[in-house]
Amino acid sequence: MDSESGPASGVRVALAGNPNAGKTSLFNALTRAHQHVGNYPGVTVERRTGRYTFEGVLYEVIDLPGTYSLTSYSPEERIAQEELLEHRPDVVVAVVDATALKRSLVIVAQLMQLTPNLVLCLNMADEARRSGQKLDTELLSQLLGMPVVETVGHRQEGVESLRRAIHHVAKRRPGPSRLVLGERLDTAIRALEARLVSATVPVERARWDAVKLLENDPEYTRRYLERGGLFAEIVKVAAGERERLEAATGMDITLYMTECHYGFVDGLLREVVLRQPREDARAVSDRIDDIVVNRVLGIPFFLLVMYLVFWVTFRVGEYPMNWLEAGFDALGAWVGRLWPAGSESLLRSLIVDGMIGGVGGVLVFLPNIVLLFLSLTFLEDTGYMARAAFLVDRLMHRFGLHGRSFIPLVTGFGCSIPGIMATRTLENERDRLVTMLVVPLMSCGARLPIWMLLIPAFFPPGWRAPVLWAVYTTGVVLALLFALLLRRSVLAGEEAPFVMELPPYRLPTLRSVLGRAGQRAWLYLRKAGTLILAISVVMWFLLNTPGDVIFSSDDGLVSHAEARETTAAVGGGSEVQNPAERARLEAAERLRNSLAGHIGRLMEPAIAPLGFDWKLGTAMLGAFAAKEVFVAQLGVIYAMGEVDESSEQLRDALRADYSRLTAVSLMLFLLIATPCMATVAVMRRETGGWKWPLLQFFGLTATGYLLALVVYQVGTFLS
Amino acid sequence: MMTKDKNVLTGSLEDYLETVYELVRDRKFARVKDIARARGVQAGSVSPAMRRLADLGMVQYVQREYIDLTPLGEEHARRILARHRLLTRFFMEILGVSPATAEADACAMEHSLSAESMDHLTRFFEFLQVCPDGRKFLESFHSCPRIQPASEECTLHHRNGHDVVAEQGGQVVSVADLKPGEKGRVTQVAGTGPIRRRLLDMGILPDTTVELERVAPTGDPLWIKFQGTQLSLRRKEAGLVSVVPYQEV
Repeated sequence: MDSESGPASGVRVALAGNPNAGKTSLFNALTRAHQHVGNYPGVTVERRTGRYTFEGVLYEVIDLPGTYSLTSYSPEERIAQEELLEHRPDVVVAVVDATALKRSLVIVAQLMQLTPNLVLCLNMADEARRSGQKLDTELLSQLLGMPVVETVGHRQEGVESLRRAIHHVAKRRPGPSRLVLGERLDTAIRALEARLVSATVPVERARWDAVKLLENDPEYTRRYLERGGLFAEIVKVAAGERERLEAATGMDITLYMTECHYGFVDGLLREVVLRQPREDARAVSDRIDDIVVNRVLGIPFFLLVMYLVFWVTFRVGEYPMNWLEAGFDALGAWVGRLWPAGSESLLRSLIVDGMIGGVGGVLVFLPNIVLLFLSLTFLEDTGYMARAAFLVDRLMHRFGLHGRSFIPLVTGFGCSIPGIMATRTLENERDRLVTMLVVPLMSCGARLPIWMLLIPAFFPPGWRAPVLWAVYTTGVVLALLFALLLRRSVLAGEEAPFVMELPPYRLPTLRSVLGRAGQRAWLYLRKAGTLILAISVVMWFLLNTPGDVIFSSDDGLVSHAEARETTAAVGGGSEVQNPAERARLEAAERLRNSLAGHIGRLMEPAIAPLGFDWKLGTAMLGAFAAKEVFVAQLGVIYAMGEVDESSEQLRDALRADYSRLTAVSLMLFLLIATPCMATVAVMRRETGGWKWPLLQFFGLTATGYLLALVVYQVGTFLS
Repeated sequence: MMTKDKNVLTGSLEDYLETVYELVRDRKFARVKDIARARGVQAGSVSPAMRRLADLGMVQYVQREYIDLTPLGEEHARRILARHRLLTRFFMEILGVSPATAEADACAMEHSLSAESMDHLTRFFEFLQVCPDGRKFLESFHSCPRIQPASEECTLHHRNGHDVVAEQGGQVVSVADLKPGEKGRVTQVAGTGPIRRRLLDMGILPDTTVELERVAPTGDPLWIKFQGTQLSLRRKEAGLVSVVPYQEV
């Protein structure tokens, strides 16, 4: 599709602008299907690139992170600056919210100091028009010295004009900058600029660096001082200029420069705004807010919305999930039939049990994921998420989290994977990391089968609901405590100011919501899927490779299967007549002697203080792949054949073998420790490295281990 | 109507003096016919005026046709010119009148103003140009919707032709102390580093208006409105913004 014909092949375009300006929809509209979403290495900021062709020329577009300004205070801003300065795109499109011109044009003024190759894109033009606002875009274009295009990103309106404007700017020679910040400031900047140029700073950078040094930007100051010599001199000169400006105006430099920028924008708007938007343009939105953020109704409404999200994800998603499960089972059966019945072929087992079973086990969640993302995207696009964050911020903040952390955490109750991915709405990297790290503590849906197995097995009826509630609550409490701990130690640092925009309510288009949700779903499939396939194969290998083949009970542990087998061998006969029964028993023995079983028995010394034995150890190994596997593994071990959690026999067997204390210790361990491999995979993807997923994995496992240990030992001591 | 006093420069004489000054400045001497051309009158009208000026000691004939200014004349001329220019600029820059009209009216007005009025006007003019309060005053004037229908800035003072709010006597509080629905004019944005920068970047600048829309049910954060934007701000950050509350009039 991407024809590389044309002289200016690979014209590089960057989209810059405020968050909430609809930049992403515009990016999608420009590049349609040809996108790539990744991460900037080492940080949690998303990197979106795409391409399109216009008049035979290839354009490569990068969607910069949304920023309100171009300081060096946040990773998003630093990355935006870096892309603009180091990689020098050929054209920069400033995407601006046409309904918030005054604030939005300030970043345009800043961009004008960075590059002359700008296009101003007034997005959400439909809303602006509807509010009564009228602009003289011709005049605006003249005054700024750049093309001005009106667009409606999420409806793909104006996109062709935008492409044409980009094409135009890419080809032409830029004129002189039309930015006027006031004589005093402009003179100071020009003076510094001249100095920088004569110190051999490239002309394209000089203006920007001059502004930054004048502003006393810590990053730039440090860099220049480090280089020493002439550059350190310039820092001093900048300081002198700055003092002079501050003395003359009575304002500190940050305020002064902001005032000058706003002054420029004000002057511009005064010329260009033919009619102001109506005062009541937000009336409907405000009425809705009166209810939604109401002192009394606000929180109940919020809880209702959360419940709805859950309900849609799990109840509605249950149907397609069951279909997929049936589908994978059928696929497994069909593939299995390619071999003769009763075949012991390893390859067959690998494909059917390992790959299809493993990957299928993860893919069945796809409908849930899609529905979850649909719901969240919808809430985000309408603007409700901002209100939700506003409501819960206080609680979140107490624990070092952010109002916007709430949604990812709640999502984690369903599944950690979308929970972790939902942290993308958090602007501040630290907040995002902290949230991501604690999401697995929210007892996910995959653990539910475990609770449903263990709790009824070990607790009398009256206790069951409270214990389940206690499990979930423990997870939440631990998550909050961990967040607090992290915030005070490893991830301490300046809090991102909770300055969050509350945009007016908007009705998103079906297309945009489906598009975004679909994108996320695809990513889930692709990345998590490849890693999971690999690990599934490894797990299969461990479970099916025999250690020693001989049926023996030399380790002194007696299992039901062994007892039965021995009885049969001795001649009791009647109990093991059923060939299916025998097959199950053999399966259990095989498991016991597989590599996984060996590992389980090797683990035993380590896990015995927690009240676990090799059987539980083996099951836990399997649970690393996916938590539900724990239940299935136990079933295999106890030779019940394929079981689900409502199986009474398994519960009885467990009750006979283990104490309630062990069960409690076990539940604690499974709640906290060993996040499943999908979690690790997604953490790796979202954080752009292995550091955090590994830290999370070992941290949580260690904590789970310790807590289970303490509980078990103390409990044993007390009884 | 001007009173004719033989010992005082009349309006038209002042004009002649101005013209002579300008011509002398450009060419060293002024000839009667140059003055005539500059003023758009007949040469015949010039001579009596010149003779009167000479009588008053303002000009002197160097040769039959060439006229120069005396030191006294120069002093007067400079003053007249300055006054003329001041008035022109006042009309143009302060009142916002078009240049041509400003010139004409300045010419018409300059002779009728007393020295005292001129002096006070000059001081007022300087105040508007030099003092920060004066500059703001001027800016507010220029953006007031009563003369600038396209302006939005002053909707807090004027809405549908009514004066809506006026400032309470100088009591400075923080945004966090406002009551829901209350507005204030920002006096200061305190703090350092990213938090302050973020507030300023969003447009919370001194002399802008901020309204506290509501408080979260949990008591924190705050929902504030300003410059057409609505923001959520924690109490702690809101505490950095000092305002003078408005009072409904």
